Amino acid sequence: MSEWNRGKRREAHSGEHESRSHGASRWSHCRKRGIDGSLRMKKDTEGSEKRTDENGTDTRHDSFTTPESGGPVSRCGRRSDWGSQVEDEEMRRDVHRDMQRRRILGGDVTQRERRTSSGSSGSCDSREGDNMETDEAVLLRRQKQINYGKNTLAYDRYIKEVPKHMRQAGVHPKTPNKFRKYSRRSWDQQIKLWKVKLHAWDPPSEDGPDKTVDDIDELGLGDVMDIELEFPTLSDSQNAPAPISTRSLSLEDEDCMGTPVKVQKTEPTAEPDMA
Amino acid sequence: MENSSDDYRIQAFDLDTQMLLKTALKGLSVSALDELYDPSSVNLEKVSNIIMDQSLKDQVFSKEAGRICYTIVQAEAKQNNGNVFRRNLLNRLQQEFKDREETRGRSLQEWVCYVTFICNIFDYLKVNNMPMVALVHPVFDCLMRLAQPDALMNEEEVDCLVLQLHRIGEQLEKANGPRMDELFFLLRDGFLLQEGLSSMARLLLLEILEFRAGGWLLSSTAHKYYYSEIAD
Repeated sequence: MSEWNRGKRREAHSGEHESRSHGASRWSHCRKRGIDGSLRMKKDTEGSEKRTDENGTDTRHDSFTTPESGGPVSRCGRRSDWGSQVEDEEMRRDVHRDMQRRRILGGDVTQRERRTSSGSSGSCDSREGDNMETDEAVLLRRQKQINYGKNTLAYDRYIKEVPKHMRQAGVHPKTPNKFRKYSRRSWDQQIKLWKVKLHAWDPPSEDGPDKTVDDIDELGLGDVMDIELEFPTLSDSQNAPAPISTRSLSLEDEDCMGTPVKVQKTEPTAEPDMA
Repeated sequence: MENSSDDYRIQAFDLDTQMLLKTALKGLSVSALDELYDPSSVNLEKVSNIIMDQSLKDQVFSKEAGRICYTIVQAEAKQNNGNVFRRNLLNRLQQEFKDREETRGRSLQEWVCYVTFICNIFDYLKVNNMPMVALVHPVFDCLMRLAQPDALMNEEEVDCLVLQLHRIGEQLEKANGPRMDELFFLLRDGFLLQEGLSSMARLLLLEILEFRAGGWLLSSTAHKYYYSEIAD
């Protein structure tokens, strides 16, 4: 390691040391403004003990912005309200139950042929116990992403309209398999594509301007080679929307909400169109 | 209390659930009931608030409200995989929990109703057939409060304490044994050392001590001792 690098690391390390005695966050001494936008002064009262007001309630900020996060994140990773805690607990149990099922099924089913993939992720059949994704944090994150997609009116309508045995690969959206090993990017891309496809089953709404947005390009499908062959590659995706758009002829407008919501609001807002 | 949640509409509950709510919520004001039975929409957030408020006033209701809540949670999950009712109920519960000391100071009756309600919820609202982990510590906190010397002086509070332990003691112990031990140290000390306890309070404490010692069961002799004596 070069001397310069070593020097830098030592510096960073001692910088960290210093800041530990000041604020609750490692970077608070670097930040000019606090989370509420006001200029930070060096506060003597900032320390590791809680600041409380007369009522004994905690007056520390509930969230910090750190370099890794996109915005304020809560002080501890775990959400503190009971509603969320119970939901998280439920999701954890569901994921564990799925894992048990997967392990049991893995023994009984004959192995499928290994798929070759050009990506570094190295596709592995999730039915082999060894090659299953087992990291709980990863599984929970993936399950949450899947839940966002399934918790939509579009998904509800889709599963009602197209029973499993009628589904055709490539045409009908298929939920990504959270137990398979994929790279983070590959997984996120699969989720995106899946949700995009689901929008074809969005319920019709009364108004919405006819904006054309080339969402396919926005997704940056140049990275598609990471993805398993069962998902459409860039050339195929030009064809795939065709059957979807014939379906959507029954919809008055092609509306696509940025954040899928389960229940339709009574005042639908204008949405960008799907190409 | 009109806010964006009013835009949230789901179909009305099925008739069975409606009947259940009806019988349970006798005595509510007419407008509150109308709120619930508007056939075109049911605002689950409001429902959870109504149930919460009623539980704090009516001890008989708070004993049974868990069952109603369970039904509603299941109905919502089945209908649209939603969670609004449970989430709102739990957050209300949490809010009241934060203010419990103040509530106790203001009205023993309300405090006792709250404890009864939260224990009832713990009993009925399970997640994959397991009790909600998030509620374990809060429930213990409430029961520990009831086991404090000042609370043991009030028969109302002792009565509530032993009733809850009868209903959910075993589950609680399974969820967190050490805290149950802690609670029972307090109860034992209270029974042995505390001056000024009424004889009813002492009897209730003795019974619960034996109940737990017997593995959350009362032997037949013990049962005869406690329950035939009282009849006299």
